Amino acid sequence: RIMPVRWNRYDPSYLEPEVKKESYQRPLEELTEEEREQMELKAVRLIKAAPPTLSSSVFSDPMISKFTNMMMKSGNKVLARNLMSQTLENIKRKQLEKYHKAPENEKETIECNPYVIFHQALKNCQPIIGLSNITRGGKTYQVPVPLTDNRKRFLAMKWLITECRENKHRRTMMPEKLSQELLLAFNNEGPVIKRKHVLHKMAEANRAYAHFRWW
Amino acid sequence: QLERGCALHTAHRDGLSSVSSQDVPERPRAVFHTSESDPAKHTEQHEGRLYNIPLEEVNAVFPHGLPQRFQQQIRTFNEARVMVRKPALELLAYLKGSNLTHPAVRYVIYGERGTGKTMTLCHVVHYCSRQGWLVLHIPDAHLWVKNCKELLQSSYNKDRLDQPLQASVWLKNFKTSNERFLQEIKTQKKYMWGKRESTEEGRPLMEVVEQGLARVRSASDAVGVLLKELKQQSHRGSFRLLVAVDGVNALWGQTTLRKEDKSPVSPEELTLVHNLRKMVKNDWSGGAIVTTLSQTGSLFKPSSAYTPQELLGKEGFDALDPFVPIPVPNYSAKEFESCYGYYLERRWLQHEKARTEDGKAELQFLSGSNPRQLDRLAGPL
Repeated sequence: RIMPVRWNRYDPSYLEPEVKKESYQRPLEELTEEEREQMELKAVRLIKAAPPTLSSSVFSDPMISKFTNMMMKSGNKVLARNLMSQTLENIKRKQLEKYHKAPENEKETIECNPYVIFHQALKNCQPIIGLSNITRGGKTYQVPVPLTDNRKRFLAMKWLITECRENKHRRTMMPEKLSQELLLAFNNEGPVIKRKHVLHKMAEANRAYAHFRWW
Repeated sequence: QLERGCALHTAHRDGLSSVSSQDVPERPRAVFHTSESDPAKHTEQHEGRLYNIPLEEVNAVFPHGLPQRFQQQIRTFNEARVMVRKPALELLAYLKGSNLTHPAVRYVIYGERGTGKTMTLCHVVHYCSRQGWLVLHIPDAHLWVKNCKELLQSSYNKDRLDQPLQASVWLKNFKTSNERFLQEIKTQKKYMWGKRESTEEGRPLMEVVEQGLARVRSASDAVGVLLKELKQQSHRGSFRLLVAVDGVNALWGQTTLRKEDKSPVSPEELTLVHNLRKMVKNDWSGGAIVTTLSQTGSLFKPSSAYTPQELLGKEGFDALDPFVPIPVPNYSAKEFESCYGYYLERRWLQHEKARTEDGKAELQFLSGSNPRQLDRLAGPL
């Protein structure tokens, strides 16, 4: 049985499904010529099946879904999603407790929205420059190399998850560990930020090998 | 949309009238709050509103009664807000008009999972403690029929089994909520605890409780003695007794406990359950019995069962018959509005899309107006 791993199983004539509610609520007059043509094409052509991760909910966030997928083990999406929601709730509770205890002038500085904290923490953890192994004359050198956006996001998420899984006490629950790590990363502290800085320093130290890169 | 606006309008008018009749608060609270924190004065006007219980009262009245999620919410928001709902108002009306010389009436609160049965019970318990009743609150009867580490053979009756841990925990919590009653009520008989210790006639019930806490082996017997004394003395009228049991279907179901020879234990063989069954029978007067059915902690019952017939079984139904059934439905539109508004005001719903109409409609659809589902959905948002 052939599984579609590298090549798409669909015919090239299939179109992507449109999930957003707003695009279907626009009246006909608002659409431009191209959009009207696109609509007529969709009425005739076949449409691909929507993947289960694609949601039309107003609360869905692609970064959060990516993170839950990375946390998932052996396909247990239910558990991964529950852990993620418990993490967000934990962050919210900690921040709200701090908020209610703080004096009036400091209340605006405390960020209570777990999604804002999550996105900011990921952004703070993303490295700017990475290292790649290039072999020249039998020896392997660590060469500083620019990273794509996807690779940066992937590295930030991977570092967060491995940090929580390995370097913490065995009996702490994942939501607790993750919420602590995310809050530290949001304030630019913590072991993940340190790892990013270590990578940057290595790249700076290996500047001399930068000309080995050919792309 | 039109009826929603109208409902908010009427609520606003009621809010204005109730605020003007009492003292004006320091800052105007929103429509869905009410400043009436005495359950005795709650009427249909307050339906769908949330009232505040001061935190000292919460620690005094509910040492062990509130659900876990609600306790977390109290800690996060720094206040305890309970919604006034129709089933609770109905129960309060029955209690206010009940004749205490007649035998105790049994009320069974039932409903689907997560509709607010335990919170209704807590509302009633708060009312009774404000009115000065003696409240016998068993937070979850299922805790007594499962996960018991120690089972001792009872010294009083060879066939029965004691549960020292559960009994001592319950006695400790009971002591914090009803201190002054325990000082006033006296025992009517002499009780022997083993060969050497005994409690004389005419000593305050506090000594029985202290005995149970000090000698953990006789804690279940102490609970039995306490229940017997309260039942015998309630008809005199010096105090009114409320028996509030959460998860009463545990008393007539099966247990997961086993004896040392691996034979299953039936509920009658446990002293705590035996004494509680005698308490829930309506052969005493001078109070009321309010119970809740619960499927979540129940053993060997399907998750779709919620009616008294299914959860109590034949034995339990015959034992509790006759009773007043009180169904608890999901949130109505007005109650959902007020819960949603409360979460927004307390900054619990942080997602920016949650404030929009689309977000609200989505929350209502996904939770099906079920209070527990709404709470779980609003957690990560």
